Amino acid sequence: MSKFIVIGERISVTAPSINRAFAEKDPEPILTRAKQQLDAGAYYLDVNIGPAESNGEELMKWAVELLQGEFDNVPLALDTANMKAIEAGISVYNRSKGKPIVNSADAAGRIEYVDLAAANDAIVIALCNGEGIAKDNDERMMYCQTLLERGMEHGMEATDLWFDPLFLVTKGMQDKQMDILECIKMFSDMGLNSTGGLSNNSNGMPKHIRPIMDSAMVAMAMMQGLTSAIVNPNDLRLMETIKSCDIIKNNTLYADSYLEL
Amino acid sequence: MPFNRKPQKFNAQIKAVEIGVGEKAIKIGGENILPFYTFDGDMGNTPKVGVEISDMGLEGAVAGIVSYYEGCTTAAEMAKKAAEMEGADFVALSLEGGDPNGANKSTEELVAVAKEVADAIDLPLVVEGCKNVEKDSELLVKVAEALQGKNVLVLAAKEENYKAVGAAAGLAYNQKVGAESAVDINLAKQLNVVMTQLGVKPESVVMNVGTAAVGYGYEYVVSTMDRIKAAALAQSDTTLQMPIITPVASETWSVKESLAEEADAPEWGSREERGISMEIQTAAADLVSGSNAVILRHPQSVATIAKMIKELA
Repeated sequence: MSKFIVIGERISVTAPSINRAFAEKDPEPILTRAKQQLDAGAYYLDVNIGPAESNGEELMKWAVELLQGEFDNVPLALDTANMKAIEAGISVYNRSKGKPIVNSADAAGRIEYVDLAAANDAIVIALCNGEGIAKDNDERMMYCQTLLERGMEHGMEATDLWFDPLFLVTKGMQDKQMDILECIKMFSDMGLNSTGGLSNNSNGMPKHIRPIMDSAMVAMAMMQGLTSAIVNPNDLRLMETIKSCDIIKNNTLYADSYLEL
Repeated sequence: MPFNRKPQKFNAQIKAVEIGVGEKAIKIGGENILPFYTFDGDMGNTPKVGVEISDMGLEGAVAGIVSYYEGCTTAAEMAKKAAEMEGADFVALSLEGGDPNGANKSTEELVAVAKEVADAIDLPLVVEGCKNVEKDSELLVKVAEALQGKNVLVLAAKEENYKAVGAAAGLAYNQKVGAESAVDINLAKQLNVVMTQLGVKPESVVMNVGTAAVGYGYEYVVSTMDRIKAAALAQSDTTLQMPIITPVASETWSVKESLAEEADAPEWGSREERGISMEIQTAAADLVSGSNAVILRHPQSVATIAKMIKELA
């Protein structure tokens, strides 16, 4: 089995400093966060430029070239509702460290993101959602099939669709948490890759609790076969947990210094 | 249904490490396939064969080795002769005489031997210490210093002395440095990690992950090398993408199959044939398990293994 893939989530317009950096094309805050995440063990970096309706294409190209130029062609997840911006980003993307990730498709309004990934030999995050949150795993797996078939029809490898069960907030949806974990097991049993915004589970919890909750969730999810997550790699406890789970799963070879790698 | 060939592709590669200078310099490693899986892709550089000589001369050697070096009176003369051996890609000088529990030769004396040998040959040189951790910390540092510019491979830095040996050979004097563990995958990885944390470039490190003579728990050697290559290639583990060198002769010539005289074990037949057989079998197994270079002693073993590599690669 290969190593768990950490997609760093911190380059996002939801952070005011990054929002401003994108608006002003100021490289510094973006590069700083990129470096922090890579140093902490992120493999992919998510680049969330927001809806970017007016200048998305130009902005995504700028971001891709900026990050790949500075960090040895770091692989990226291109995250925006503007499909043309994703395509523009891919047009200048260097694949030597990994295919671009299209973030993201779902089984309803955003299913065309699968076609976009297929047309550009990219990976796509396939959110097992239709209109609204799936009510149970039967529904999630139905969306999974829809997305998988769509990808296959367009000539994708099944392993290039990374299925997202949609992690749900524990405060309020505590009774759904085991469903999510079981869903991950179903993906895994089908030989499919998976990912997701794992820290959503701890949304709304006190700051000091979140790393603990996220670490527990990632350990349980990795046990179920989760192959990737979109997380904050600068959460030390979480990264230590992921690295330790990778050792237990024999995804990486143990050495006394494994936490430093 | 027609046969559909599916090559096993890896997105990772073993680093190629250069030893020696000039026309005869060699590179080991560089492959992105499993050992000899040339049907899957690029083997990089073919595995290399080294001939081992010792500062202790021919003490205890079998007749075939003694006669090969007939007339040689110094290590430098032996080195020249070793370099001419059919199939030899490099020479390995063992400074076993430095062992405090053996001949206990001084560091100065051994450095002088190493210098003479290095000056006598144009083939790349590998220098092996005396295996005593404390003595080697001093001896190998001085050897690395004295042989600056020769790009030798110093064997080896161990867990106990990697700071001294690694810093001298790999950093200060710009040689190549071996990282030695004894059939222990986790330690093999750890040594590479701490050596690179020390500042030694990964391209300057060659692993000696240890071997046993065939029949002496050899399956652990296979699983160790297998796991290392799997981590390096299939899991893209950059801390294990260093090539592997295996000193075979020192293991195989010290087991009873290679030591017992025919008079003491008549049912086993010729001692020399047994010794060669142990050396060839172990080297062949090491190579197909992932070694990028082997160190041998007997001319017949060297020729046979060189031929095997030529025909398989």
